[in-house]
Amino acid sequence: MSELQIVVCGGIVPDPLQTLAPQMGPTGPALKNEMMLPAVLDPWAWHSLNEAANLAKKNPGSKVTLVSLGPKAKLQQVMMTMAQKVPFELVALDGPASGFTESAEVAALLAEAIEGIPGLDKSKLLVFGGWESASRGAGTTMQVVGEILGIADQFLAVDQIDVQADGSFKVYERVEGGKHQVSVCAGAPAVLGWATGNLPEPPNNPQIGMMNMRTIMPSLQKAKPTQVKSEGLKFASVEQPQQRRDTKIVKDMPADQIAAEIVEWIRK
Amino acid sequence: MDLDIVCVGFGPAMGGFLTTLSKGLVNEDGTPAVDSKVMPGMPPQVICYERADDLGFGVSGVVTRGRAIKGSFPELNLDEIPMAAPVKEEQLLYLMDPIGASRRPLSMRLADGTLKALKWMLPVKDHAFKVPYIPAFMEKHDGFLASLGQFNQWVGGQLMASGAVQIWPGTPVEKPLIENGAVTGVQLIDQGVDKKGEPDAGFMPGMEIKAPLTVIADGPIGPVGRQIDEALGMPEGHHHHDWAVGMKMVIDLPETCELEVGTVIHTLGFPEPEIFGFLYVYPGKVASAGIFVPSWFDNPVRSTYRYLQHWLQHPALWKHLKGGTMRSWGAKTIQESGRRGEPHLVGNGFARIGEGSGSTNVLTNSGVDEAWMTGVQLADGVLELMKEGKEFTKENLEATYVKRRRESWLEEESRMAEKARDGFQRSFLRGMIGMAMSGFTKGKMNMSGDGRSPYQRVPTPEEYYKGRISPDGIANLRADCQKAGKSLHDELMNRVGWPEIEYDGQILMSHQDALLKGGKVQAPGGYADHVVFLYPSECEKCGTQVCVEICSGQAITTNPDGGVPLFDREKCVHCGACLWNCATHDPANPEKGGIQFKAGAGGLHSAEN
Amino acid sequence: MSKVLVLLHSEQDGSLAKSGLEAVGAAKSLAEGLGGSLVVGVFGGEIASAANAVAGCGAEKILGVAGADFAASRYATDAAAAEAIAKAAGADYIVAPGTMRMNRVLAGVAYRLGGRVDSHVTGLAVEGGAPVVNRWYYRQRMMGRVQRDVRPWVIAIDPGAFAPLTGTEGTASIENVAVALADGSKRTSVEGIVAPAADAQTIRPDADLLFVAGAGWTKKQADGQSHVKEAEETILGFVKGAGASLGSSKSLVDQSGEGEAVLSFLTHLNQVGQTGATPRHPKGLASCCHGEEPHAVGWRFITERRAINLDANCGWAQGKADVLYVADAFAVMKKVNELLTS
Repeated sequence: MSELQIVVCGGIVPDPLQTLAPQMGPTGPALKNEMMLPAVLDPWAWHSLNEAANLAKKNPGSKVTLVSLGPKAKLQQVMMTMAQKVPFELVALDGPASGFTESAEVAALLAEAIEGIPGLDKSKLLVFGGWESASRGAGTTMQVVGEILGIADQFLAVDQIDVQADGSFKVYERVEGGKHQVSVCAGAPAVLGWATGNLPEPPNNPQIGMMNMRTIMPSLQKAKPTQVKSEGLKFASVEQPQQRRDTKIVKDMPADQIAAEIVEWIRK
Repeated sequence: MDLDIVCVGFGPAMGGFLTTLSKGLVNEDGTPAVDSKVMPGMPPQVICYERADDLGFGVSGVVTRGRAIKGSFPELNLDEIPMAAPVKEEQLLYLMDPIGASRRPLSMRLADGTLKALKWMLPVKDHAFKVPYIPAFMEKHDGFLASLGQFNQWVGGQLMASGAVQIWPGTPVEKPLIENGAVTGVQLIDQGVDKKGEPDAGFMPGMEIKAPLTVIADGPIGPVGRQIDEALGMPEGHHHHDWAVGMKMVIDLPETCELEVGTVIHTLGFPEPEIFGFLYVYPGKVASAGIFVPSWFDNPVRSTYRYLQHWLQHPALWKHLKGGTMRSWGAKTIQESGRRGEPHLVGNGFARIGEGSGSTNVLTNSGVDEAWMTGVQLADGVLELMKEGKEFTKENLEATYVKRRRESWLEEESRMAEKARDGFQRSFLRGMIGMAMSGFTKGKMNMSGDGRSPYQRVPTPEEYYKGRISPDGIANLRADCQKAGKSLHDELMNRVGWPEIEYDGQILMSHQDALLKGGKVQAPGGYADHVVFLYPSECEKCGTQVCVEICSGQAITTNPDGGVPLFDREKCVHCGACLWNCATHDPANPEKGGIQFKAGAGGLHSAEN
Repeated sequence: MSKVLVLLHSEQDGSLAKSGLEAVGAAKSLAEGLGGSLVVGVFGGEIASAANAVAGCGAEKILGVAGADFAASRYATDAAAAEAIAKAAGADYIVAPGTMRMNRVLAGVAYRLGGRVDSHVTGLAVEGGAPVVNRWYYRQRMMGRVQRDVRPWVIAIDPGAFAPLTGTEGTASIENVAVALADGSKRTSVEGIVAPAADAQTIRPDADLLFVAGAGWTKKQADGQSHVKEAEETILGFVKGAGASLGSSKSLVDQSGEGEAVLSFLTHLNQVGQTGATPRHPKGLASCCHGEEPHAVGWRFITERRAINLDANCGWAQGKADVLYVADAFAVMKKVNELLTS
């Protein structure tokens, strides 16, 4: 098995259960009460971090670094939960986590942070991240990170990676129709944007938490303040869809009759 | 795993403790003031485990004088904390019953009649009488109001930034580790188990966390504190007989609402005389509004949610709220025994702080600042012991923490308040008179009460609705509801004149939608059910099932097959109402109900409460 | 004058998918709206028949990259092909179908061109002489209308969001664009596509109907028992009988579920809603689903919606469906299956 250097790009998003509404601010759209809403690591980024930790465990000597851009206070809050899950080191960038920021600019900041990781060895580098985020939902960040880092092998919507003894790996990417495309890559470096993967949620482990905190706390304290520029990007409007329909409620109709009505509707 | 100090539960008491401790662990020049005993050469290892999925979940809005909090943060700038504002105006509203369904005693009916007759000369409007005078002991005019969720998050952020202590949310603590009467640490909850707690995929047994000092601040329903009470017993004459469940909504007020930021409205009298209410106006046209249903409201179908909906629609409140939108919702149990619920504050290896340590002042209706104060006092004591290299023995903790507590305003005021609420245990009127007596005589004179356990005083629906619904009628309703797996309260309340709630989808909505939209309630997989019915045969016999009626999340439901109610962990908001609302009890221990409320994961996902 | 490139890839069999025709329709109307010109670019293993499918779309020219190196979806070679075509076209706007293959490379291509990209675009219009795109944020919970100054502007349109351009078949004359593949472009080899067994295939993007199964299917029914096997048979029977695509709520696919029975054929790929997909189908039928926002966003792109639920206040139905049948889905769907097979 080979030693890998896995860097996970993972932003934070409002806890998906929250009620979200946009508002226009001086610098463009923003989430109403963004700083009041509890945040979580982006769900897809979390899957990728979980996969990274699993891969590192299977390849002794490997290391996982999470690179995360978000408001420092919110990153701190999220790390309290994340640090208990899997072992990783953190590179924190203090900046916006908004979905309305420009993905290419975010990618440039992430790539710069990755380049700055001490002892970075690109021949062992796997850059992980979510295939999309739950904020911007575009799926356009990881590719640019890869381009800036000069990585030619990129995979999107990955559900599985099998690393072989020679360092090559097999990747399963989601394609249309609930299917997967299977590819074999000669080895690192590569970029993998993850879908959900197949791993179960790991338990909270106090010892992992203790170990992680030794590097996470200092990293948070020295998180670099960053600005995300969005030059040339304008929002004509951001609105919540008004989707209220007049629902016809059918009560007390026998199942047979409902079935007949449904079949007629399907065939229409 | 070994630590210097393991802490359980992150609320205001723990905020006070860790804030004071973290400042004291470092010298002015930044060097560590004391060394870790478990990791020599390192600063002390202090970790706080919090049950909820994040800090500040599952708490409430608060108005507080904030004396202790301001002591910890002399430069406190409320603008830094979302939803916080200084108190600007306090009102006390006596709400009359515009519906005619409220169960009012003769004295109140007479009072209502008088107020209506004198409407032309008294501040009576919208079926409410604005009490012209708020007793000084209840005033909070020099304080501030806040969302305790946001406040806790802010405190947690300050603490994490200090780097001196760690806080781990989403990690419930199963139990204290007790050896020879001393607490030696805690054990975390098992993960990767099925509903019954049996090992399942990804099983990870709860880890033992050993520490010379365990700080317990898990509140009145916290399993660690309660297990210590069971192991050590309560001090002579102390008990936990008085409780309340508080339920509220955080509401985006309509644009037309004219309430000013910093307005505090207290209500009494409606929907039932025993139910008190509050409304706090935060910056940004947001209000927190809710009610308390106390254990001495002897209604066996005490559905807080249904009563909350009627209370919100009282004309004196609805005129402000109508057209608004609920953005958060939640519920919590409050320990109302105050100082009489004080457990053994310290012992070898442990100390208790906060609400679970009996710090709530039941006369001034104040608990957050008092809880914070207990944390500060413990931290001062702990720092003193650490610097002197002394052990965390009962004796040493008494000489430092308990001594500070006994000599402070906290003790003085809680003594005055000790019996202030007793009158309510007999009647609303006696309660009001008793509060006034205690308040004006500084606790020297009090109205006597009826100190029985909730289960001893709760009547059956047949007794409560005597003369209004026939026993046969109740039996029929019960049979129908059981068949449908529904609780009884809606049918009974409809029957005695409470109008059905017309949902507007904004503020008035089904209980489940309040859970989903406001509480964002959820439970992660891999944990055992934390609500367990201990005596199935007692449940079989129990026709009252207060647990089902009061359940804040409809997580406990009637079993269509009869007998033991059903529990759905994914709906539980961890309010703990079931703990004290059991109509049966442990046959061997009259102080213990028939429901075990254990450590559990999940619950509310809103930090705006 | 603005130049619009519509960038396409051919399928394995050389054809052009419907999503490609949708992109051509969107690009054409953009070019017309801007008073500009249209160029078609196609890459893939075989591209002749794909190019022929749009030969009559009114494009100024058709650029192509073809060959075995470009047959399969691979980042390095696809990005190189797309980059070469874009540079040859010199376009200000690049419109492409948001297929998995395109989505994998477009952001990287935009970066190489010094441009910007918007993906999952569901609306494209010209206002005041400049394009405006509609796209969703925060998992379909907010719609943004976006404009950009940076060119080229790469616009990936969501399949199903635009009408396909039809009647454009002809014989295309393709201008081949040379692609110099960098060393290491073929470090990855595509082995093929793996699909679930034919009888387990439940996701059908082209189906007219989406059937959403909610957590109620595995919960205890009126008799106090859960009927998972019966639920499985009923659901699969319907999906097969109606040719429907199967979606499911999060709680039903969560593998870390509460030791509760799960439906064996459901995976995360079936999940619709907040952390799943928001598929597009003309009709949708939800059964035993409960949840308010954010769960009900799985419905957002379903045109006609009906729901079956025992709870009349179900958040998936009230205000979100056209018809809600308050009934037992087990009974109704069993009967529906009977009718479909009869």
